[in-house]
Amino acid sequence: MHEMAVMSYLLEAVEAEAQRIGAQRVLAINLVMGERASVFDDSLLFYFDLLTPGTVAAGAQLHVRRTAMRFHCAGCDQDYSPVDDTFRCPQCRIVGQVTADGTELLIESIEVES
Amino acid sequence: MSTTRTIALGKRVLDGNDQLAAANRRRLDAAGVRAVNVIASPGAGKTSLIIRTMAALRRPDRVGVIEGDIAGRIDADRVLAAGAAAAIQINTGGSCHLEAGMVAQALDGLDLGALDLLFIENVGNLVCPTHWALGEQLKLCVLSTAEGHDKPVKYPEIFAASDVIVLNKIDLIDLVDFDRAQFYEAVRALNRRAPIFEISCRTGLGVAAWADWLQAGPPAQAAPRPGERAMDTVSHTQGRS
Repeated sequence: MHEMAVMSYLLEAVEAEAQRIGAQRVLAINLVMGERASVFDDSLLFYFDLLTPGTVAAGAQLHVRRTAMRFHCAGCDQDYSPVDDTFRCPQCRIVGQVTADGTELLIESIEVES
Repeated sequence: MSTTRTIALGKRVLDGNDQLAAANRRRLDAAGVRAVNVIASPGAGKTSLIIRTMAALRRPDRVGVIEGDIAGRIDADRVLAAGAAAAIQINTGGSCHLEAGMVAQALDGLDLGALDLLFIENVGNLVCPTHWALGEQLKLCVLSTAEGHDKPVKYPEIFAASDVIVLNKIDLIDLVDFDRAQFYEAVRALNRRAPIFEISCRTGLGVAAWADWLQAGPPAQAAPRPGERAMDTVSHTQGRS
């Protein structure tokens, strides 16, 4: 829903880094996105194509690694992702505790040409 | 000849917003103002809660409000009529959330020295505002019973990120088949530390307990205590008004 704002901040950060290290061109941007980060790939790509022409990131590849929301079950001492409309452990049916809320939105790395 | 290399960044995409939020926070802290980022769906009762809360506070005349809406200034006028010291209306013009830069501009228009408490009423949306820090000391999620007990499962991010949760329209709970046990089970799987206040902005039930808690200046970033039981910070509506 807010991918344009996300992409604006993303490109600002990438351009600042490219300038800092004296890169001529950004070839790829590697992102980590939680499944709960409220960002859709297609929409992000749409704004990427719209906002990058004429910038150091024009033509770069956008790679997205998705991460899941995870819980820990005190019953079986295992981590799990919810499989139904509750947050219960699929094995024990105990309600676990969230360990990763899946909202991360990180620029893991960039590949540059200099 | 050009060379290619990979640069590890490990940087938050919204780092630019985070930095503006940190600057807002420094301004608020320096002025001794506590800001509450109010996040809820449209119609959950955000403005009603602010108005009800002001009436229950010792110094409603030292409360400011920043209203975030896509358009219009209905809410700013409502809180001013209810006695707020100042209200700034932000119109996002379509954006689904407030950003720290918008709040920075709004802070420019407020006399922070005249305030103790600042409500920042976000755009009505249970998803997007969660991801944008504004510089607030407290993130408040308001859910109304009419929206259903399944919302923490459907929109877990905000329930995981909240410092405090208000369950509004508690007077309707039996009319709308809201399953309290399922609601608490899901919220506590996501968040063990946020107190939950059951209130009714219509009848006033539970408002005093919530206002007292807010006024007492609870620690905004309290860490969960080791061995804390899942339900021991829950406040139930019965006997509270």
